[in-house]
Amino acid sequence: MKKIAIIAGLSLAGMLAGSANAQLIAHKDLSLPTAVTIAQTAVQTCKAQGYLVSANVLGRSGEVIVAMRGDDTGPHTLENSFKKAWTARATRAPSVNFANTLKQNPTAGARSLSNMVPAQGALPIMVGEDVIGAIGVSGAPGGDKDEACAKAGIDKVAAELR
Amino acid sequence: MSHFAKRIAGVSLGAAVLCGVSVQADAQLLTHKDLSVEIATQMALTAIDACKAQGYNVSAHVLGREGQVVVAMRNPAAGFATFENSMKKAYTARTTRAPSGRFADAVKGNPNAGQFFLTNFVAAQGALPIMVGNDTIGAIGISGAPGGDKDEACAKAGIDKVAAQLR
Repeated sequence: MKKIAIIAGLSLAGMLAGSANAQLIAHKDLSLPTAVTIAQTAVQTCKAQGYLVSANVLGRSGEVIVAMRGDDTGPHTLENSFKKAWTARATRAPSVNFANTLKQNPTAGARSLSNMVPAQGALPIMVGEDVIGAIGVSGAPGGDKDEACAKAGIDKVAAELR
Repeated sequence: MSHFAKRIAGVSLGAAVLCGVSVQADAQLLTHKDLSVEIATQMALTAIDACKAQGYNVSAHVLGREGQVVVAMRNPAAGFATFENSMKKAYTARTTRAPSGRFADAVKGNPNAGQFFLTNFVAAQGALPIMVGNDTIGAIGISGAPGGDKDEACAKAGIDKVAAQLR
């Protein structure tokens, strides 16, 4: 009898755990207008400083929401801004962190993954602790300057990121 | 300088002058008007808004002279295939210098048309070339509305919005 009670207790616990797992995940995700504002602000901020840049804003799964090729930018900047953003999204951190990681460990496994690039200029887009995307910027003379423009893009929509 | 050397020099000089002249004619740079990212962004947003006002969620691509992406916009409310499709429609319109619907009509009943073996061609209405006079400087492609004609109408709204700047 005791045994049966224990079994019943275990199944009940199992059911509870099961129903807990079965809840859908509640996500906040970037809307297109918000993503456009982020990208446009970043490109224009850099342009105001005399830097011609391209920008990519990626969503939760690394999908491109907005890709923006700045006027008269180098042809690689659109791809590079995408890869920086991918790196920031994948690592949930500024892409400069991955650059620093590779400095310590040049053969880190993530180096061999598609789209990872050890270059500063991208930031994750956060809602609280949740990474909902990333913005990458490329074209300024220095990743720190790219990153500052990426930050300007995020700051512009800070009120919407919650 | 020997007679022989003089002849060589003379021939070389003559050839150089001829080459110089013919190269010079070819060597003039092309003068192009091209899309700015501001105009391209305005076109894409106008097209997306025009479709949304009619209840259609669409994605948009604006490509430049070489088929390069100037602006790409994924509408998370539209089907996820719409992003790729809007690019391919725009590519088709750019490279044929004509509405993508015209290509769709042209290859109807001819599934082995050569273009199907090229990358990024799609036989679907919804993209228009962006013209400055007779010069095709890019294309806008739309995907997501229930019918390519509706996509194309929104593409046209995008172009019309910036018509004054397309010259």
